[in-house]
Amino acid sequence: MATVPRLLTYQDIPVWRHILIIQWTAQIVSGVVVVALVIWFFTNIGNAIQDRDIPYGFSFLSREYQTPIGEHFIPYESSDTFLYAFGVAITNTLIVAVAGVILATLLGIVIGVARLSGNWLVSKLATVYIEFFRNVPLLVQLLFWFFIILALPPVREGYVIGGMLYVNNGGISLPWPHVSGYAAALTWVALAVVAVVIGVALNKWLSYRETTTGKPSYPLIIGIAAPLLLGAIAWLVLSFATGDSPFFISTPEPQGRFGRIVGGFTARTGLLVMLLGLVIYTASFIAEIVRAGIQSVGRGQTEAARALGLSPMNTLRRVVFPQALRVIIPPLISQCLNLTKNSSLAGAVGYSDLTSVALTMTQTAPAVSIFMLIMGAYLAMSLTWSLIGNLYNRRLQFGGRR
Amino acid sequence: MSRKVLTLVVVLAVAMVALIACQEDNTAAMEALQRENATMESEMAAMEARMAEMESMTAEMMEGGRLETVKARGNLICAGNNSLAGFGAADAAGNVGGFDIDLCRAVAVAVLGDANALEIRPTTAAERGPTMQSGEVDIMSRNTTWTSSRNAQWGNFAPTMFYDGQGFMVPTSLGVNTLAELEGAKICVQQGTTTELNVQDFDNQNNMNLEFVISADNIATNAAYLAGNCDALTTDRSGLVSTRAELDNPADHVILPGTISEEPLGPVVPHGDEQWYDLVSAVMGILIYAEAYGITQSNVPTAVTGDSAVDRLFGLEGDYGQEDMGLSKTAAQDIIRAVGNYGEIYDRHLTPLGLAREGSRNALWSAAPCTDCPKGGQVYTAPLR
Amino acid sequence: MAAQTVPPPAPAPIPDPVLPPRSEVGVTGWLHANLFSAWYNTVLTLVFGLIILLALGFGLNWVFNTAEWTVVVELGGRFIIGQYNTEAACPGQNCFWRPQVALLLVMALLGMAWGMSGNRVARVMALVSAGGTAALALLPYSMETMGLDVRLLLVANLPALALGWALARYTSLGTGARIAMLGVAVFLITLLLLRGLPGVPGLRPVSVIYWGGLMLNLVLAVGGITLSLPIGIALALGRRSSLPVVKVLCVTFIEVFRGVPLITLLFMSQVLVPLAFPENFPLNSLLRAGIVITLFSAAYMAENIRGGLQALHSGQEEAARALGLPGWETTLLISLPQAIRNVIPAIVGQFIGLFKDTSLVYIIGMLDIVEIGRVFVQGNAEYRANAKEVFVFVALVFWVFTYGMSYISQRIEEHLGVGRR
Repeated sequence: MATVPRLLTYQDIPVWRHILIIQWTAQIVSGVVVVALVIWFFTNIGNAIQDRDIPYGFSFLSREYQTPIGEHFIPYESSDTFLYAFGVAITNTLIVAVAGVILATLLGIVIGVARLSGNWLVSKLATVYIEFFRNVPLLVQLLFWFFIILALPPVREGYVIGGMLYVNNGGISLPWPHVSGYAAALTWVALAVVAVVIGVALNKWLSYRETTTGKPSYPLIIGIAAPLLLGAIAWLVLSFATGDSPFFISTPEPQGRFGRIVGGFTARTGLLVMLLGLVIYTASFIAEIVRAGIQSVGRGQTEAARALGLSPMNTLRRVVFPQALRVIIPPLISQCLNLTKNSSLAGAVGYSDLTSVALTMTQTAPAVSIFMLIMGAYLAMSLTWSLIGNLYNRRLQFGGRR
Repeated sequence: MSRKVLTLVVVLAVAMVALIACQEDNTAAMEALQRENATMESEMAAMEARMAEMESMTAEMMEGGRLETVKARGNLICAGNNSLAGFGAADAAGNVGGFDIDLCRAVAVAVLGDANALEIRPTTAAERGPTMQSGEVDIMSRNTTWTSSRNAQWGNFAPTMFYDGQGFMVPTSLGVNTLAELEGAKICVQQGTTTELNVQDFDNQNNMNLEFVISADNIATNAAYLAGNCDALTTDRSGLVSTRAELDNPADHVILPGTISEEPLGPVVPHGDEQWYDLVSAVMGILIYAEAYGITQSNVPTAVTGDSAVDRLFGLEGDYGQEDMGLSKTAAQDIIRAVGNYGEIYDRHLTPLGLAREGSRNALWSAAPCTDCPKGGQVYTAPLR
Repeated sequence: MAAQTVPPPAPAPIPDPVLPPRSEVGVTGWLHANLFSAWYNTVLTLVFGLIILLALGFGLNWVFNTAEWTVVVELGGRFIIGQYNTEAACPGQNCFWRPQVALLLVMALLGMAWGMSGNRVARVMALVSAGGTAALALLPYSMETMGLDVRLLLVANLPALALGWALARYTSLGTGARIAMLGVAVFLITLLLLRGLPGVPGLRPVSVIYWGGLMLNLVLAVGGITLSLPIGIALALGRRSSLPVVKVLCVTFIEVFRGVPLITLLFMSQVLVPLAFPENFPLNSLLRAGIVITLFSAAYMAENIRGGLQALHSGQEEAARALGLPGWETTLLISLPQAIRNVIPAIVGQFIGLFKDTSLVYIIGMLDIVEIGRVFVQGNAEYRANAKEVFVFVALVFWVFTYGMSYISQRIEEHLGVGRR
């Protein structure tokens, strides 16, 4: 214990000039100042709320929302509670975010590869795409797509393709599978799990066989086709056994004097515009990330693979891309996060995302509480993305530093 | 050298930002408060005590402070609409004008003597509530429906200046003639409005099986309707008339008979300042009674007329509580001269849209003081005396 | 040895050079190598060629035949300065000269940058900007709408540019540090000019609510860019700091600001932050929006710079410490410059992002160039049919600025030799 005072007075340096003392004083002072500021800020807000009779608290969450939500993918009635409506809004945001991320990644990879294509026309076209779409604000693009979609004919004069696909300015309607009942749904969930397990197992085994024996085994195709085939057989067997089909495909059909389309699945105007805008915008960033990733793999890798007789496609898929992924994934994750956050612009084009619904809620519920809920929800989403990124990074590091 | 330059730049920047930010004259109390804040940060222990002190100071400043605040600032901040023709809309020259905006102008004249001492803050329907609660605006005149919950949560509603009800507009080609025929229709409705709630009630009560296309503001709502994205547009009837009037071919659209709600529209002021509320209410009364007494922009009396009601209103003899409200004695003279009476404001902005006033709810109740000369309307407010 | 006796062999006749086949050189060669090198490339070329032709045909037809660009001309002033010169903003006087004088100062600054560097990029940029703005004086407005004074001030951008160039060339002002200092001064003077000073004749205060159009986007972007870089650097250093309290504070700040959408933050700055301050506290809506955009961007900037710092070899820092440099000087003089140099593309990307994000101020009722397009075009019956033209125009305006920024960043990278060492 006597070491502490000696340490502090080392070589006759006064105590207050000791690095530890300086550092900790600075830290404590800055910490106290920041905490004091935060407390001051929120106390003031609390006071203002009381002085101005502004409603607050979270009791509203169990009240009926009573307001329509334009688009919802889980059942919603106006008699549902605020809490449930909030869940509906989060679902809407998640759907646009997940679908957007998948589509944007696919498009981004295609365009990123196209930019490096040996075909001059394709590579220039990809460059123009990237340079245009990533340099124009997303809001402008969304508003533009909104007008493009609205310029389609209205529902009664819309295009019908093959009697199944309806395209009009109200959205795109297409046939969609529906499950007949609760019991059937459970059966299908169980079957789906079995099918996925079989598919994954097949995929693993076939790729192992391919890499060890060199026989072409098509692991991806078989891995996907086998579960689908299994599903089809199960459907036939179940229909035969139970007498009626456990799930049916509902086709969209115009109904009533207004020709409203009932049945199937309708991706409405707002969702379409959001997907178009988000995917096209984000893909331009992802394309650049993919390009940088591919370029980070040494030329020697490509040349060696070609020398071994791999086709250009296989070189890309089996040699270059797996190595490029290491560079690609971290910024890709941050683009996914950006896409999720950018979906908050949905209000401008009439899609009922989290922000838009929450803003409507401020009409009948305390704004301060609503803001806390929005912040919490978005922070949770972004932390999830960070988590995914970190997990992936850890896996890569284990594999990479053997 | 470069460090000196950096310091200089930083100091300059801070000074300039401060200068630009605090253009409005600040009272001594404000400066004291700021000093208070600065010292507070370093004294964690004294925090609680000072907090209480500051709270009382803030409360003091807020009490009855709105009028002084507006006078010190030199302009009135009015939350308005910039895209609803007739009520509040921007023209190509960039000026925002309309019925609602003129109500704000009247208040600006009353408080500051200048119809242009006005800052119109564009506000969408959904952000109205939080904007009022933030206390950042002095008044909101933005075709806002007076409801009990808004009264409780947002602010106090001054007298109703326009009586409205929610209706539906459909393309003539659909052949729809009554509200009942809208069953199964897709309806365009604006987010964050009472119309959104009313149409949901209408749907539930009558099992209409409606589907909604919800847009953030009336620009987007109208765009969706005009593109045929929905079968009917619903909003206040006045809004329907104003939208229809602006179309290239108004005859292709018909406003269905029948309303599904009551929509009394009027200005709102923030909670917590009785004097300010009284003042705004009185200004609305001045507009209405000036018309009732037949006083227009061109014949504002400046000398005693002998009609005691007119003389009282225009501050020539007697008074109606100007001093308590913080109005000048002759405020009515300035107001009517600058913006005209209720009828003139109406005629300037709403009559051209085709919103006929004669025989509607928005006619005067009677031409006061003649109680036997009913005009049949609902426009009427607390007598000024 | 023996080789000396052997007479040198007669030089073999030089064979006729085997020329590459005609299909490998010239135009055909280029076409073959770049467009038709394999069957799939041929297919791609044909398919995309067809698509391009169709798109071009459609696009050009729209641009030159279908589209009506008069709306852009008629509302030109609105797109540039919003409602700044309206009667409501500036009652009883013409305030148009104030943004115009600010523009002259910016132009002089551009001229100085050109005069100092003398390189091609700066010259092209300066000449295009000055020429473009001067050309605006020729817009076919009537003299009532666009007075002689306005036109003259626009033309004056050319002499302003020349003056700046001459100042940089022939006086001692032409150094990077001085021009940067003048740049900050010009920005502050611009703010002062636009905002006005109470009591000064001719400089009547104009409320920030009326600042609009491209002017608003640029003011927010320039302010945000200048401030977000230093804040971002501080946050990045804080996040890498070994002091736990500082680190926790910085991490919290960065993650909160990065995790929430900007429009939510903007909205909160408008309705929640005022509650925390006494009424009439001098923190106007533009300032609040600016602060939020800056902090949001700074959080991203911090992550970019942290990336640069992480990529730096630890030997750099160790060598500096071994030479006896104190900790903070090591950071300022050794680590940071290298880290920043390495992440210039990311930083400029963030600047571009910030500029694009200024379009989000619509959510708090400010009329930036996008919202001007919405309110004045879609909200006005006479222009409603021309919304597409307006959005294409606005997209183009943004593109010119953002592409310019990324072009300059590429040139800077080349100049610094990033990736070549």
